[in-house]
Amino acid sequence: MTPRLRKIVTWAGAFAAIALVTALGSLAGLNPSAVGFAYLIVVLFASMWGGLLLGTIASIVATLCYNFFFFPPLYTLTIAEPANWFALAAFLVASVTVSRLVIAARTQAERAEQRRSELETLYGLSIDLFTATNRIGALGEAASRALTLLGARAGGLVLFDGSPYRQNVISWSGDKPDEIEDLIAGVGRHKEPLELPSPLGRDAYLPLIVGGRTTGALVARGTEASRQALESASRLVALAVERERFIEEKAHIQGLRESDALKTSLLRAISHDLTTPLTAITIHIEALKRKAASDPALLEAVSGIAGETSRLRRRIDNLLAMARLEAGKAKPRREPTPPADLFRAVRENLPLVDQSRPVKVTVDDDCPDLNVDPSLVLEILVNLIENAHRVSPAGEAIEIVARRHPMDAAQVRLEVLDRGPGVPPGVADSNGNVVASATVDIAQRGLGLEIARSLAAANGGTIAITPRPGGGTVARVDLPAALLPVAEQHA
Amino acid sequence: MSVAPVVLLVDDDPAIRDSLSNELRALGYTTTTATDGRDGLRSFETRAPDLVLTDLAMPRSDGFELISAIRATSRTPIIVLSVRGNDADKIRALDLGADDFVTKPFSVPELLARIRAQLRRTSSASATTLHFEDLTIDLERRRVTQGSREIRLTPTEYALLELLASNAGKPMFMEHIIARVWRDAPGTTPDTVRVHMSSLRKKIEPDPSSPRYIVTEPWVGYRFIAEPLS
Repeated sequence: MTPRLRKIVTWAGAFAAIALVTALGSLAGLNPSAVGFAYLIVVLFASMWGGLLLGTIASIVATLCYNFFFFPPLYTLTIAEPANWFALAAFLVASVTVSRLVIAARTQAERAEQRRSELETLYGLSIDLFTATNRIGALGEAASRALTLLGARAGGLVLFDGSPYRQNVISWSGDKPDEIEDLIAGVGRHKEPLELPSPLGRDAYLPLIVGGRTTGALVARGTEASRQALESASRLVALAVERERFIEEKAHIQGLRESDALKTSLLRAISHDLTTPLTAITIHIEALKRKAASDPALLEAVSGIAGETSRLRRRIDNLLAMARLEAGKAKPRREPTPPADLFRAVRENLPLVDQSRPVKVTVDDDCPDLNVDPSLVLEILVNLIENAHRVSPAGEAIEIVARRHPMDAAQVRLEVLDRGPGVPPGVADSNGNVVASATVDIAQRGLGLEIARSLAAANGGTIAITPRPGGGTVARVDLPAALLPVAEQHA
Repeated sequence: MSVAPVVLLVDDDPAIRDSLSNELRALGYTTTTATDGRDGLRSFETRAPDLVLTDLAMPRSDGFELISAIRATSRTPIIVLSVRGNDADKIRALDLGADDFVTKPFSVPELLARIRAQLRRTSSASATTLHFEDLTIDLERRRVTQGSREIRLTPTEYALLELLASNAGKPMFMEHIIARVWRDAPGTTPDTVRVHMSSLRKKIEPDPSSPRYIVTEPWVGYRFIAEPLS
């Protein structure tokens, strides 16, 4: 039944009921006061079903009929007895009042019913949002379900990707005219809900705001739901979106943490699993050396194994130093380190170099200490000196020098000088620094230089490879100095 | 030494345990081995070794437990076999009372030098004069000579040298040095120690570019070297 037809039926019914009461009353010769009550009942139902207008009109029509058919002189609208005037007036007042009361009660009941169903919807929405969802898609489904229950005929959930102009439609139902995007952006910018009349009735645009930030908008087109219900729904959805973001972030952080833990344990495993057999081999070599003392050929072979083993050991040390930096586990742990101590440690680490050729060490008297991670700078120097050793002719000395930086008091310059073939022409720039390092150096100088470079960078330093006057190469490492407070008095 | 010193070797890896034990025996030490901290403590109690060599990471009962247990009753030298990259473990072991460490893979001559330094330190605990190559420290007269030449040190420098030299071979923590030499005087910082140490080193080192006696021990402090390698 369409509302229009329903209205006609209700009105016709009301007048028919008045006619029926009038006919019954006059034909059966009922007592006028009983007829008055019957009219009152008709007015009551007319108000309940037909609203205020029908109720009022029914009251007046009933009053006229009451007068016309039941108060003497009958069949005129005049009244003989003054008491009957009073009765008729009382009837009119009573019927209008009854009709108003009934209507007020009905409106109230309807409003309560609407609030109840809205609350139910919001309750359902909050359960949907906070229990079932774990992904943005589920958010969209929950939002659509809520919009349907709030009586929206179209609409959906839109999230902003950083700005209200980059909109990400999470869910949408019904048509979506072009201007909606601008309306949503406007709501996102002004952070105020917007209600507009539209072909569908009334459209509501609700920004999703958490902590002053607008993360998206909820659009309900053609809804009759109260503003309060719509705003509650948008607050719930906003919280759920925020929660979703937190969950994602947390998963990301946890993932990072786990991969870090994995790297660390891998590192531990490698350092243990590689160094243990290497240690055993080193010990066996020592025993072999002792037993081979009387056999020069065997001794030479054993020394060869020893050399290769210590090279392997240094590769592993390199690898571990790099991996530690990569894993971010060991940020360089800097501490004031005298260059002489570093040079000493390097020579202990490279006994074969130290034994097979002169190594000339110079530390200038006024050279400050370095502010570096000693174990990483040790790797740098070991790599550079190994390179120098490999390219230098037998018997040529390698020089290691530490001095204050000529231009920068906050730096120390370490140099490794060799008499090898030097930097190939064409790979150095005007400052003498090697360019195209990645290709040339790896081929010419091995992986060691690349590792040294990244270790130097981790310590806040740089490496430059320059030609050495008179032939050969200077590997120059500039590193931060540890500046001591002005020396205290000491005799 | 007329009687071979007894070395207790604690390591869970049989390859290292057996090869190192053989090597030490071939070089004149008596060895006894254990596979973990608990086993090691039992051997320590029954064999009363002159020196303990222990790994840190071991199943069941690790090296840290063993060090604490031994230090509760004894001052027997302990050398830790640590793994490269685990500086924190190394420092913790020293904190618990270990005397020194070598980093795997270590060279045997290096380890032997460390063992000798520790044995020598314990046997000369009551000596009144310390000799290191051409450096002589007379503890009673507080005199330091290099060859026939007397080295003039300030009282602070002498105190530093005496502390380090009488603990030769043992890495000394910066905090420990500040406590012993400066008696925790307010305002004493590691930089204070560095300043004095640097001038001490200039006076006693034959070649300051290649330190012979005193070296820094990264993240710990300083170490006096009893005998140089090679």
